[in-house]
Amino acid sequence: MRSIHALLIGILLACSSAARAEVVVVTSTRSGPIELSREQAEKLYLGRSTTLGDGTPVNLVDLPNGSTRDEFYAKLTGKNPTQIQAYWSRIVFTGRASPPKEAGSIAEARQWLADTPNIIGYLERNDATPGLRILLRLP
Amino acid sequence: MKRLAATLLIALQACAGAALASEVTSPSPFSLSGFGTIGTVRTDKDNRAFRSSTTQNSGASTDFDFSVDSVLGLQGSYKFNNTLDLTLQSVVRKDSSNSYDPKLTFAFLRVHATPELTIRAGRMRTPFFMYSDSLNVNYASPWVRPPVEVYSLNPFADLDGLDAFYRLPVSDMELELHAYGGRSELDARESTGNLTRIRGIKASLNAPRLTLQANFAKANLALYWNGPIYAALAQQLIATGNGHIVDQIAGSGSPTTFISTSFQYDNDRLLLIGEYAARTVDRYNSSAIGWYLTSGYRFGPVTPFVTFARQHQVSTDNAANTGNPSLDATLRLLNAVRNKAQTSVAAGMRWDARRNLALKAQLERVQPGPDALGIFVSNSVMDNLNPGGPVHVLSLTADFVF
Repeated sequence: MRSIHALLIGILLACSSAARAEVVVVTSTRSGPIELSREQAEKLYLGRSTTLGDGTPVNLVDLPNGSTRDEFYAKLTGKNPTQIQAYWSRIVFTGRASPPKEAGSIAEARQWLADTPNIIGYLERNDATPGLRILLRLP
Repeated sequence: MKRLAATLLIALQACAGAALASEVTSPSPFSLSGFGTIGTVRTDKDNRAFRSSTTQNSGASTDFDFSVDSVLGLQGSYKFNNTLDLTLQSVVRKDSSNSYDPKLTFAFLRVHATPELTIRAGRMRTPFFMYSDSLNVNYASPWVRPPVEVYSLNPFADLDGLDAFYRLPVSDMELELHAYGGRSELDARESTGNLTRIRGIKASLNAPRLTLQANFAKANLALYWNGPIYAALAQQLIATGNGHIVDQIAGSGSPTTFISTSFQYDNDRLLLIGEYAARTVDRYNSSAIGWYLTSGYRFGPVTPFVTFARQHQVSTDNAANTGNPSLDATLRLLNAVRNKAQTSVAAGMRWDARRNLALKAQLERVQPGPDALGIFVSNSVMDNLNPGGPVHVLSLTADFVF
C-alpha cells in the first residue's frame, strides 16, 4: 500500500513537471486600474513601447534565465531564448531602449511586483501571490 | 573624453550600490551590461593584410591576428524617471594609431516625450546603414562582421547631435521614422576628417518577419590626407601650377550624400539580408556604391550562411589628366589607395553555443580591385594599382554579451 502511494505521488510529480504550467502577466494591486492586451504586452517585452495603450508609463521585470522566462517569451513573442537574447542585445546596445529589469530570483521579482505600482512582470501561475493582480494569461 | 567615460561608469556603479542599499523592494534605476568579441583572422598572402575597417592602420596577413576583430564594450544606463534616462557606452578596440584607448561611443540623454516620440541628445551612433548603430556588437548579427563592401563606404560612426524616433502603426506593421542631425569626426589610416551639418532621415517598416529600411543623409565632408604619397603629390601639384587639383583632393566643405536601402527577412528558419548603399561626394574622395546579399538557414543552434558582396567606384574627385605623365601616375596611385573596390563571396557558420555566446567561423574569397586593394593594405604601395588575384580570409570569433 505504501509503495502504491509512493508510486502515485511519483507519477503526479512527473506529470506536473511535464505539463507546461500557465504563465501569467501580473502587476501590483497598488497599480491603478490598468489593462493590458496581449499585443501591448508583446510590444512592451520587445522594446517597441514603454507605455500601456492609454499612455501610462510602465516598468518591466524579467525573471532570471530559466524555463519560466523562456516559456514566457516563446508564448508571447514566438522567439526562442537565443533569438530573444540577440534581439534585445541589438535594441540595448544600439541605445534604442532599456531592457526589462532582471530580478535575481523569483522571490525578488514577486517582491518588486507586489511593492511597486506600475511595474509589470510575469510568473508561473502557481507563483502569483495575493498582492498581485493578473493582467493576462498565457496558457 | 576617455577618462570621463571611465569615471562616469564608475560613478554610475556607485549610484547603483547606493540605490540598492536604500530601497530593496524596487528595481534599481541603474543597469550595467556589456558585449565583446574575441576574434582571430588570417589571409593566405603575405602582402595582403586584412582589416575589418578602413580606420585600422594595420591588419592580419598570413599569421593569425587577434587585433582586427576583437572588441570589448561596457554600457551603463540610469533611469531618472519614466520619461528621462541617461546612457553611456565605452568601447575598446584597435584604433587608427594601433592603440586600445577606450572610446566613448554613447553619452546621451533620452526623453520619452510621448508614447510615440523619443528624443535623444548627446553622442549616438550614426544610423547610415542597417547595422551601423551596432557595428561593435557582433553578437547581434549572423556574420563575423558586417560586410565591409557596404560598411566601409562611410566609416564615420559617432554622431554628436540630436535625433528623434517617431513610431506609428500601419495595419499590423509599424513604421518608424528616425530623423537625426549633428556632426562626426574620424581618424583613419593616413587621413583625418569630419562630417558637419549631418542631416538625415531613416524610415523603417517592421512587419513580424520582414524589416524594410531606407536612409537618406546629407553632410559637409572635410578630409585631410597625411600619408607620404599625398604630401609629395601636393608639393608637386603646386610646383607645376596644378594647385586647383589639391583643392579637389583635400579640404573642407564638400557636399556629400549617403543613401542606403535594406531588407531583412527572418521566418525563424530562413534568414535573408540585403543592403545597397551609395556614397556621393563632390570632392576629397571617390563616389562609390556597395551591396551585399546574405542567406542563412537555422538548424537548431547552428546557422550556416553565404554572402555575396561588392563595392565599386563610380567616379573620382580628379581625372589624373594634368598632361604631366609622372604627376598623372602619382594621382592614379593616390586614387587607387583611396579606392576600396572589391568583390567577395563568403561562407560561414554561427553556432549559438550558449545563451550569451555565439561562436562563428567564416571563410571569404575576396577579389580586390579593379584599380584598388579593397580593404587590404600592402607593404608595397604600388600593389594598389596591381591588386593581383583573390585573397582568402579565414575568421574565427567568439561573440558574447553579459
